[in-house]
Amino acid sequence: MAAPLTLLLIVAVTIRAVLFRSSLAELISERVEVVSPLNAWKRVVEGLALLDLGVSPYSGDVFHETPLMIYLFHFTVDYAEIVFMVSPYFVDCLSCLLASLDRAKIFRKQKYALESDRYPADCLELLRSPKEMFYIPLKVAMFYLLNPFTILSCVAKSTCGLNNAIIALFIFCTLKGSALLSGILLALATYQSIYPLTLFAPALLFFLQRLYIPVNLRRSSFWCFTLQYAFIYVGSLVVITGLSFFLLGSWDFIPSVYGFIFSVPDLTPNIGLFWYFFAEMFEHFRLFFICVFQINVFFYTIPLSIKLKEHPVFLIFMQIAIISIFKSYPTVGDVALYMAFLPAWSHLYRFLRNIFLVSCVLLACSALFPVLWHLWIYAGSANSNFYYAITLLFNFGQTFLIIRPLTRRRKHPGGFDNEVSCFKSSVWKSSLKS
Amino acid sequence: MAFSLDTNCGLLNHNIIGPIYCTSTIFPPDILITQFWFNYRHVANTLSVYRSVKRLGIPDSHIVLMLADDMACNYRNPKPATVFSHKNMEFNVYGDDVEVDYRGYEVTVENFLTPRSKRLLSDDRSNILIYLTGQTGNSHGGNGFLKFQDSEEISNMELADAFEQMWQKRRYNELLFIIDTCQGASMYERFYSPNLMALASSQVGEDSLSHQPDLAIGVHLMDKYTFYLLEFLEEVHPASQANMNDLVSVCAHRVSVSPGHHTDLFQRNPGSVLITDFFGSVRKVEITKDTINLTSSVKSGSGDMQIESLTYVDQLPVAEIIHQKPKQKDWHPPDGFILGLWTLILLVFFQTYGIKHLKHIF
Repeated sequence: MAAPLTLLLIVAVTIRAVLFRSSLAELISERVEVVSPLNAWKRVVEGLALLDLGVSPYSGDVFHETPLMIYLFHFTVDYAEIVFMVSPYFVDCLSCLLASLDRAKIFRKQKYALESDRYPADCLELLRSPKEMFYIPLKVAMFYLLNPFTILSCVAKSTCGLNNAIIALFIFCTLKGSALLSGILLALATYQSIYPLTLFAPALLFFLQRLYIPVNLRRSSFWCFTLQYAFIYVGSLVVITGLSFFLLGSWDFIPSVYGFIFSVPDLTPNIGLFWYFFAEMFEHFRLFFICVFQINVFFYTIPLSIKLKEHPVFLIFMQIAIISIFKSYPTVGDVALYMAFLPAWSHLYRFLRNIFLVSCVLLACSALFPVLWHLWIYAGSANSNFYYAITLLFNFGQTFLIIRPLTRRRKHPGGFDNEVSCFKSSVWKSSLKS
Repeated sequence: MAFSLDTNCGLLNHNIIGPIYCTSTIFPPDILITQFWFNYRHVANTLSVYRSVKRLGIPDSHIVLMLADDMACNYRNPKPATVFSHKNMEFNVYGDDVEVDYRGYEVTVENFLTPRSKRLLSDDRSNILIYLTGQTGNSHGGNGFLKFQDSEEISNMELADAFEQMWQKRRYNELLFIIDTCQGASMYERFYSPNLMALASSQVGEDSLSHQPDLAIGVHLMDKYTFYLLEFLEEVHPASQANMNDLVSVCAHRVSVSPGHHTDLFQRNPGSVLITDFFGSVRKVEITKDTINLTSSVKSGSGDMQIESLTYVDQLPVAEIIHQKPKQKDWHPPDGFILGLWTLILLVFFQTYGIKHLKHIF
């Protein structure tokens, strides 16, 4: 395991180093699919320069990073490339660990279930054998490090990579079982961009499952733990926000960062759904549709939590995917984060009927983005409708990609509890026998 | 014989006629033409003033003519390619040598204030004449603004600011502003730059009247104020000594509305300002038989008429270029912040991994 992983790391570092030094770096860091107003490196540099001139970096609509990012980059702005090369490794090492932890747990349960003879014969193919599970962490690492989206995002020095690293750290701490660290890291992730707030529910469900507290609204143990976790989360959020206030001495960052995320004033095209809609919007409907679009991101948490309360890890994956599709300024870096976790559910692949279609759609859209951008902006023979059509198709493909495993999971909740189909087939078989 | 050019006009080296504008209301494409054929007289006004000014010697290169509508080629013009300013079609003011700089949709507020193609290349010794005619607001009142093309307007404050900018950039020496619209006096109320004289055809609250209808063409051909103005100008020739006081009183008694004038900002006495300073391009030529010795510096004559009590702003930030400010120090995060942050990080670390690591550190 260590050797292939090291090889993978070396390959990834080489690719990134080569691209950093080439002329493509400039080109990539200006692409709208890769950077957004929230996480562009140019804006970070601009904000730091404003700070050196004695002006608040949040004056003017340039800089939308949080103060802790200012602190981080203040010392590392000259070594930015190294920072951005290191952060994907956080993600990938953690995803490895995540996958291996998951795997261990799954094996245990699977073994137990086998021994108690709960599985009928023909469900065996759904079980995951240790052999194929062995390579899952490596696959996850590969999917993240060698994903062209991640490479582009890293070469463009978009701070999306750092956000992904924080979310990955959060998932790692959750799976390790440390509620304190998990709460703190979730607060940090929420502080960076508000959307990881929806990850509170799956993390809570995971801890409850781990501590064998049943999710029953009438039991006091449930409320006790929930309140503890919520207290850690909210407390650390407050502390981090207070610290940010002390960095610059003003509350300017709140409207500049969170106000910006929520009210979407900048309508530069990106791979998300907001820009075209709000460019066409009449002013007096704008507030209404902002609310609708933002609620859309947070809305799926509750139904999904109810549905997937026994599978919180999968729920985390779904939430991350939903955030990266429906957030106000998505970039390909966000897409890469949840794509990295796909191999962890590789046992569901054989049931995905449309995997070819979905992968073709995603590949084609990724190729068409720069083409239609060129046609629209430079050649003038297309217009924004073309680009938005590709954006819509890309998001549709993504949605398909994540919905399919969900429905398949519901029907064949692979691993240790195949109640639905296996139970049915065992009943049928036993009825045949008798 | 030697000629000596009398450069003693001093500051009046050459006159430039500023923009002669005719702003007629023009229709958006879905309104019938017929409504705005009524504004024939605005075009006729402008072209007549243009002709007078050219007759008095200003070349086309010094005139910017903006016509917002094409009356000569309008479908309703019974005599195409002509615009008449007097009844019985005595005189076609739209002849072969009319050079229109901005026509039709190019006549916008932006092109008026900051023209892109044809600009006035005036400097601080130019006298500028600006003649505006058109409609302010609707014909029932429009105080303080002038309509452009039925969809834009220029306000008196904008005009005043534009003139102030010209003054700051030393683009004119003296400026004469004539406006022939309803409530024309409201347009010059806000002027605050020096050396401006303004004439208007009507006071605030009064309407400007049109003069002559022509039964053959079917519209009014000219406005009253401009008519009398032009009648006055017909009597002016390049060597005439008529002065501004005559111009101001040109329309006072004959009509029922009272024209206004604003000479407070003007440095010189209006009685001493010649009409030809603005309307004509005059070079005084004195023929002499004596030889003039040019080695000694030519004195600028009987003193500057204009007292240079006005100062111009610095065009370059001299103070900053010559006296460099010291470079700003780099920003550092406050110490309290660093302390707080790392204390918290350490606390969390020890909380998670236990206190036993402490003994390795200390």
